[in-house]
Amino acid sequence: MEFDLLHNLATGFSAAASLKNLGFAFLGCLLGTLIGVLPGIGPIPTIAMLLPITFGLDPLSSLVMLAGIFYGAQYGGSTTSILVNIPGEAASIVTCIDGHEMAKQGRAGAALGVAALGSFFAGTVGTIFIAGFGPPLAAIARQFNSPDYFSLMVLGLVTAVILAHGSVLKAVGMVLVGLLLGLVGTDVNSGLTRYTFGIAEIWEGIDFVPMVIGMFGIVEIIRNLERTELPRPHLKAKMRDLWPGRQDFREAWPAVLRGTGLGSLLGILPGGGAVLASFASYTLEKKVARDPSRFGKGAIEGVAGPESANNAGAQTSFIPLLTLGLPSNPIMALMMGAMIIQGIQPGAAVMTKHPELFWGMVASMWIGNLMLLVINLPLIGIWVRLLSVPYRLLYPAILLFCVIGIYGTNTSAGQLALCAAFAVFGYILVRFGCEPAPLVLGFILGPVMEENLRRSLVISRGDPIVFIERPISATLLAATVLIVLALVVLPQFRRTRKEAFQE
Amino acid sequence: MLRIKSPQDVGAAVVFMGIGLAGVYFGRDLSFGSAARMGPGYFPIILSWIIFAIGVVVGFKGLTIEGPAVEAVQLRPILVIIAAILAFGYLVEKLGLAIAAALLTLLAGYARSDVRLWETLLLAAGLALFSVGLFVYGLSQPFPAWWGR
Repeated sequence: MEFDLLHNLATGFSAAASLKNLGFAFLGCLLGTLIGVLPGIGPIPTIAMLLPITFGLDPLSSLVMLAGIFYGAQYGGSTTSILVNIPGEAASIVTCIDGHEMAKQGRAGAALGVAALGSFFAGTVGTIFIAGFGPPLAAIARQFNSPDYFSLMVLGLVTAVILAHGSVLKAVGMVLVGLLLGLVGTDVNSGLTRYTFGIAEIWEGIDFVPMVIGMFGIVEIIRNLERTELPRPHLKAKMRDLWPGRQDFREAWPAVLRGTGLGSLLGILPGGGAVLASFASYTLEKKVARDPSRFGKGAIEGVAGPESANNAGAQTSFIPLLTLGLPSNPIMALMMGAMIIQGIQPGAAVMTKHPELFWGMVASMWIGNLMLLVINLPLIGIWVRLLSVPYRLLYPAILLFCVIGIYGTNTSAGQLALCAAFAVFGYILVRFGCEPAPLVLGFILGPVMEENLRRSLVISRGDPIVFIERPISATLLAATVLIVLALVVLPQFRRTRKEAFQE
Repeated sequence: MLRIKSPQDVGAAVVFMGIGLAGVYFGRDLSFGSAARMGPGYFPIILSWIIFAIGVVVGFKGLTIEGPAVEAVQLRPILVIIAAILAFGYLVEKLGLAIAAALLTLLAGYARSDVRLWETLLLAAGLALFSVGLFVYGLSQPFPAWWGR
């Protein structure tokens, strides 16, 4: 077993660490951080915008670059949290609390350094986690049949919805709308086109890239333009003392360890991942601290814990994707979309059919983390300067790159019209308090879910009892029901959820 | 008398019910089949009805429980940005990337009310050169560079 693990990792590193792939990892991290650091662009639009660049590469290089973009975007989000108090995404909301406070006290360098070092440590542990847990989970996944997969997706979607913020009911609605949109195009089974309205552009289904860029990238630009001016960074922060001091280290390392452990575990849960991990870690740090009143006033543990946890969680949330084919959060849905475009259907089969690809990707995650450390610490000065570029100069450039990205993957004006349509749709939804993120999860799972439902019901001759007859499926459904019941019946749970997202 | 207590919820309800009904209506020609032999309409029609039902519940909530108002929509940013995207899409083949990119940047500049013309012109020129250099020459993306095909 242990030998296997090392052997597998060796396979991965020899595939991922070629000079060419290292170059792509570097480029991915650089671009990911570059875009992720820009105020008002979170990781989802960042990744969506950069996806098209990776399409021309061979599958492994493309995945390696994608992993780089992923980590870069996440780290970019932390940087804006600390320096400008704008969380790029939910996972770095808690980083704002103490991180920005540290920046105000002139300790921005220490906060950024601890975030990077903690993330790197967490990323390393997360990689080992994937290498250790991946194969046994994939072995379990191989026993899954259609009904089990269907129930698994139900569980995954339900938990993802509950752990997302905002109204649960609306989020369920959004998932279902996503599932429906995922069915648009030619039905594989009957060969008929569904909901295409004679538009040739969508005969083969709605393209992922224009949809995601429209709903996230463009909508975000429009919303930022509606505000009068974005907050400007605290540039008074001294960047010279970037390296955290000895005192900082002493306070931070236990928090890094706790955050890593917590994050690694929470990341594996369907619906879990970076967001849940960072919130849980902040709460934990506050609980174990000798003097909880320091929190909110620049406690370094409040940065070290959540930043390690969200990176560990982000890392291990690849486990359900790579072994079960289940994206547990919208970012994983993006990664899944990118893999499908590369011709890889994520799931247990990847590991056996393309071992060099699977292990190469695992290795590239670690390389991505290392690159971040190498790029970010020396370049923080540049990122800070980038933050002070006014938004009126940034958004036309962002818009241009979004548009070129879409047009470059599929040379047709129709794709841009599709993107514009989704931008309007996304804008309306946001106005009505519906988060577009769950829709992407549904969209990516739509066709797979229909296929598994069809197969299950063919086996059982139309009897839905098949979903509770099979032990795996029954367990998964029971878990789903329990979670929903807990939400409906236990007012306490509901309150905790509300509080967790308000803090 | 019905009173809208949560405009956001009622708006979302209208969207959900609309999508649900559209799904059912436009899926009417797809054969439904039976559970054992699902037709192409089976899954989408069921989904559409559930979406409609969720719309009804959300709408009911919106009429009974107080909730946040819908933020005012500013037409200028959304209209200008959408126009810029479409203009780029339909013109890039005819005018080439450089001009289309400059045009998009210029147009996008007008999404804000305080346009600085010279600054925007400079930005447009710079972005046009940069994108041609990066995407056409650097990444060999399928764009005509200086003039259309």
